[in-house]
Amino acid sequence: MWPGHVMIGQVTSPFGIDGSLKVYLTTDFPERLLGLKNVTVDRLGESRPVMKSRLQPPMAVIQLAGITTREQAETLRGALLMVPEADLPKLAPDEYYWHQLVGMAVVEEGTGRLLGELAHVLRTGAGHDVFEVARDGKKPLLIPALKSVIKRVSLGERTMTVELLPGLEEITE
Amino acid sequence: MGRSVKKGPYVEESLLKKIEGQNARNEKRVVKTWSRASTIVPDMVGHTIAVHDGRRHVPIYISEEMVGHKLGEFAPTRTFKGHADKSERSTGMR
Repeated sequence: MWPGHVMIGQVTSPFGIDGSLKVYLTTDFPERLLGLKNVTVDRLGESRPVMKSRLQPPMAVIQLAGITTREQAETLRGALLMVPEADLPKLAPDEYYWHQLVGMAVVEEGTGRLLGELAHVLRTGAGHDVFEVARDGKKPLLIPALKSVIKRVSLGERTMTVELLPGLEEITE
Repeated sequence: MGRSVKKGPYVEESLLKKIEGQNARNEKRVVKTWSRASTIVPDMVGHTIAVHDGRRHVPIYISEEMVGHKLGEFAPTRTFKGHADKSERSTGMR
C-alpha cells in the first residue's frame, strides 16, 4: 500500500474489449467513483485520469487513460486503486475510517489498564461493527463498537478508551 | 416449508433461561452461546450476546430491528480481511 493513500477498490478482471476494468469496491462511498477525476494504480506506480466509470454494486466498471485494449487491462488484474487520504469524504462526528483506528492502543476506562492494540474491524451486519483487539499472550478481545462501550477515541494520542461490558473479557477465555 | 406457528420461534432453552434470569435480576451481562439457529425474541433486546462464528464468540448487541432473525445472521463465519484496514471503510459508534 502506498503511504498517504487509501484503497477504494481492486481490479478483478478486464471488462469488454476497450480496456475497461471490473473493480471490486472497498469503499463505503461507491457513488463518489462516478465523479472521480484521477486514481492511483499501484501496479502502474502513478495516477491516471478516469475516462469513464459506472457502478454495479459491489463492483464497478472503470476505464483509465492509456488503457485501451483488453491485453493492457489484463496486466492490471489484481491491481489496487487508491486515492490520497486528503481526498476522503468528511465523516460525521463519532465516525472514523478504519485506517484511523487500526493500530490504536485500547485502554480500559477507570483503571487505565492497557488491553492491547486494535488489530481489525469486523463487519457484523448487526448495525454495529466489532473491534478486534490483539493482546500479548492471550486470545484477541472482541469489543462491540457501541457508544456505551467506546467512551473516547483520541486520534492525536492514538488511544481508545473503553468501558468493558460485564462478562466481555470472559467470553474469550 | 416454514416452521409451524403453533410451536413458536425456536430458541435454545439454556439461552432463553439465561436471558430471562438476567431480566428478572435487571442485569446486563454478556451471554455466550453456540446456538446460531436460535431466533431473536423481544426478551433479548438490549442484551449483548456473544455468538459463536465457528472460531470465537462475536459480541452482538441486540436491537429491536433484529427480532425475528436468527442469531447466526449477525456473526459471519467467513471474514475476508484483504486490504480492508487500509481501505475507505468507515465505522460509527452506535
